[in-house]
Amino acid sequence: MSNDSIVKTFLVAFLLCAVCSVLVCMAALVRIDREVYNKQLEIRKTVLAAAGYDLDGDINAMFTSDFEAKAVDLATGEYTDAVDLATYNENEALEDPALTIESPAGNEAGLLKQVKYAVVYLSKGGDVVLPIRGAGMWGPILGYIAVGPDANTVKGLTFYQHAETPGLGGEIDNPKWKALWPGKQIFDNSGKVAIKVVKNGKYDPNAADAVNTVDGLAGATVTSVKVKGLVAYWFTDNGFGKYLAKLKK
Amino acid sequence: MAKAKDALLEPLFNNNPIALQILGICSALAVTNKLSTAFTMSIAVTLVTACSNAAVSAIRNHIPNSIRIIVQMTIIATLVIIVDQMLKAYAYEMSKALSVYVGLIITNCIVMGRAEAYAMKNPVYESFLDGVGNGLGYSLVLLVVGFVRELFGAGKLFGLTILSPTTDGGWYVTNGMMLLAPSAFFLIGFIIWALRTKKPELQEE
Repeated sequence: MSNDSIVKTFLVAFLLCAVCSVLVCMAALVRIDREVYNKQLEIRKTVLAAAGYDLDGDINAMFTSDFEAKAVDLATGEYTDAVDLATYNENEALEDPALTIESPAGNEAGLLKQVKYAVVYLSKGGDVVLPIRGAGMWGPILGYIAVGPDANTVKGLTFYQHAETPGLGGEIDNPKWKALWPGKQIFDNSGKVAIKVVKNGKYDPNAADAVNTVDGLAGATVTSVKVKGLVAYWFTDNGFGKYLAKLKK
Repeated sequence: MAKAKDALLEPLFNNNPIALQILGICSALAVTNKLSTAFTMSIAVTLVTACSNAAVSAIRNHIPNSIRIIVQMTIIATLVIIVDQMLKAYAYEMSKALSVYVGLIITNCIVMGRAEAYAMKNPVYESFLDGVGNGLGYSLVLLVVGFVRELFGAGKLFGLTILSPTTDGGWYVTNGMMLLAPSAFFLIGFIIWALRTKKPELQEE
């Protein structure tokens, strides 16, 4: 049979597609198998890092012994059973209109929509680790922030996804910069969200609001502003404000 | 065997796909700000080029001329998807760092160029070696660029601090431009210059 006959052309195309689709399916099955585990491990690592744990060691063991997951209804600030924690995933829930609400227009985190129910992690030591997200310079920034038992003191924060410029905005992953956060107070004396990131070098340790202020990253003014916006946003009543107020009592 | 050796070694310097043929520049700019990503990308491209060359060569006598490009693309796309899925499964953080660029190997001109120019006319073994050789030629440039960019941009190699940067209280003022894509353009330009100065026969009229 000539290679260029119509029958042969269809035959080759069909066989090739059949073989290739089987191979692609097999690869996808392997990946799907591991994906749930990979994503869960990533969340656990981030939660542990935010809470100030050293990540040397068995992540899963540390996590399961010290942390408990709970879903929070952001509208009321109460714990909720509306979602099944075994299968609920905030990043997937964001795609589901029934599980999301529109974020307020022009919010400082740059969000268009957000989940109704957020999964928080309570540590043995009384800290609570909250998911935060918002727009960065080049793409979304996703992470966790740990708050102490007083519902006011930051224990640490860590991002697990961002697309900031490596070496500049990407320094939000730098341990030296992240070390500036623990001990900062989220709210001022009147209970308003006061935590902020200032332009690099503008931090004054003697200022009255120094306890609410984190020095920004050099060469990454935009990223610093975005991080400030998304952290602050999640502590307002649109985020975890109501929940933290209840936690305080 | 001389042909097999040529197939493997020629693309390293004399016929380097990036430096001579100026192919695959897009990914060479995108993934070279760290050595670890450049290294993973190198392995991925070498694997895909070698396997797609071997596969195309194995069925070259049965490929209808009218759909040969489609056949090559299908094979390449399948291999790239497999590599991408395996990275997502077993090297999750790395696959996040490489983001879309693994998928974009499909459009990397080196892979398709070798399938069309070499694998369609040569036996499986030589085609495989040609794929490995071109993959290594690509890798060589990627690793050199990645080395310079990570060392001078972040003071690190494979994430280990070599030059202690001022941001960590050291002495080295990092070169921020090295971390941005244009620096790879300059570096590849220098590599092309050096290569053509060393080997004048590579210069075009």
